Amino acid sequence: MESTQTTPLPGTAAGAVDEVDLTPVRTYWQLVRQRFVRHRLAVIAFFLMAILIAMALFIPLLSGDAWKETSLERINQPPSLTAPLGYDNLGINTFARLMKGLQTSLFIGFSAVVVIVMIGVTVGAMAGYFGGWADNALMRFVDIVLSIPTFFLILMLVAFWGTGNAWVIIIAIGLTGWTTAARLVRAEFLSLREADFVQAAKALGAGDRRIVVRHMIPSAMAPVVVAATLGIADSVVIEAALSFLGFGITPPEASLGNMLTKAQDYFYRDPLLAWYPGITLILVVLAASFLGDGLRDALDPRQRVEAN
Amino acid sequence: MTHRSDGGELLAIEGLRTHFFTQDGVVKAVDGVSFAIRHGGTMGVVGESGCGKSITALSVMRLIERPGRIVEGSIRLANRDLLSLSDEEMRDVRGNSISMIFQEPMTSLNPVYMCGDQISEAISLHEGISKREANDRAVEMLGQVGIPDAKRRAREYPHQLSGGMRQRVMIAMALSTNPELLIADEPTTALDVTIQAQILELMKALRERNRMAIMLITHDLGVIAEMADDVVVMYAGKVVEAADVTTVFERPHHPYSKGLLASIPRMGEKRHRLEVIQGVVPNPLNLPLGCLFKRRCPHAMPVCDTPPPLQEIEPGHLSRCWLTPAGEPPAIGPEPTREVAEEAAAALDVAR
Repeated sequence: MESTQTTPLPGTAAGAVDEVDLTPVRTYWQLVRQRFVRHRLAVIAFFLMAILIAMALFIPLLSGDAWKETSLERINQPPSLTAPLGYDNLGINTFARLMKGLQTSLFIGFSAVVVIVMIGVTVGAMAGYFGGWADNALMRFVDIVLSIPTFFLILMLVAFWGTGNAWVIIIAIGLTGWTTAARLVRAEFLSLREADFVQAAKALGAGDRRIVVRHMIPSAMAPVVVAATLGIADSVVIEAALSFLGFGITPPEASLGNMLTKAQDYFYRDPLLAWYPGITLILVVLAASFLGDGLRDALDPRQRVEAN
Repeated sequence: MTHRSDGGELLAIEGLRTHFFTQDGVVKAVDGVSFAIRHGGTMGVVGESGCGKSITALSVMRLIERPGRIVEGSIRLANRDLLSLSDEEMRDVRGNSISMIFQEPMTSLNPVYMCGDQISEAISLHEGISKREANDRAVEMLGQVGIPDAKRRAREYPHQLSGGMRQRVMIAMALSTNPELLIADEPTTALDVTIQAQILELMKALRERNRMAIMLITHDLGVIAEMADDVVVMYAGKVVEAADVTTVFERPHHPYSKGLLASIPRMGEKRHRLEVIQGVVPNPLNLPLGCLFKRRCPHAMPVCDTPPPLQEIEPGHLSRCWLTPAGEPPAIGPEPTREVAEEAAAALDVAR
């Protein structure tokens, strides 16, 4: 190899040296962060989500079994330092139970989204990359899944596989919710397949797998990230609805949904019991949505950062 | 490293036909193209948009996608029949023995990876070396193609570079595996003229240094004059004229080549209007019978209803036209050779 020599070549005009500019080179994640922080609502949503996740993780851990311990003396006790939201009609610490319920709901929400993204990206990528009959078959299957009323399908699956099991709910939501992600990825892939850099990668001898995984999926991820964060919100709501109807997480296990169910029995005497899980649910959904928005803007490398 | 000697054929394309089977009919994008590229030589492929020059290049790379298909012909690289290789073997040829650079430097780099990573990917795809070594080689390649401060540039994303810089990165990527043949599909069309000149100089220098052959696809005759040893002029999927570069510029024979040459503005020459070639490229779904150029040809004559063969009008100079080598209409109608008669009959069949 004679490539070790670096004699200047003609055409590497001396003037080219002028092109050296001294702005620091930023890495991808630095650029992403820079774009993300400009999105104020998303930053707020990010911290809100972080706080919710931290509370859901640590408070049940620190408070032990407080979320299910009943006590005759504490029935309907007002708020105190150890129980900021008081005690309910069974003498259970409402705040501890709310946090345990949030933990369950977030766990189900995030896990369901992982399933949704895995199925959705795989199906969408195969349909978009291979095209032709594979695309047709997969997309018609998507149409079939979409034509079934999702919630009733989930109800049926949960009823069939057994209620009260978080994993059953996760799988049921995952198996019905991947269609949007699949469509988004397929649409991105259809245009990416024609992209010059994909052609260039082929011309360099890259195989199908490498092209899909390394060159196409990263560029198709922006809409998937948005769909996924919105999917967290959806999944949390579906879980709450299932539990509310008694098909999801059943007491004594706690979830935001079954806390709402219970609260309706005491709605006139103690409406706050409905407000707590309700507001928590809204916060989760809003945080997830704004986070998705901010991430979409930040992850798209084609958007340049203006100097400021 | 394979030994590269001058003179011998590196790439030989023989009777290549690449057709696209669309719903409206068969588009014969490349229809019987033959030419050869010598070791270390530069072959210019010229023609208007849609004449099949890019499809010829993609056929050599075997990157034709549905509904297109290579119907017939052979493509031999250093006596290896590329069309009979398995997909896996072909992947190894791509980027290793043959590299390609594209017209659009703005979009041919993946926006989500740093330039250095894209080059080192190309290297590690074909050579089992560590990521570190590949990275070092990538930086070295960037230096070789004249990118100042290569180490830093390697860590930049494509959107942070100018068009000329990006084309240099593309060239670095294509040359990183030291290919025997570089296919350059309009490498300078998207660049402005000063950058264009720099890139051409760079390609020339790298050609000498790496002793590789170049297949240069362009519609810019200036680029051809600058770079090429031999020229193939394509029209509607067929080669209409082939010769060395001096012959084509000094003694073009085919009316289409003459038209192309006449349509370049020249310095110091007073002319009110540039010559244009009348008419448009024929619809590929509905090619005229006989000579494909006859509707636009100033010399069209009755004999042009019979497709002319590609014939040698002087040693090393081929032209697909009925005009005599001197440019005169043929005295007597041509006696159709068997080959021509068959071709005409086939064309009529298709028409029906």
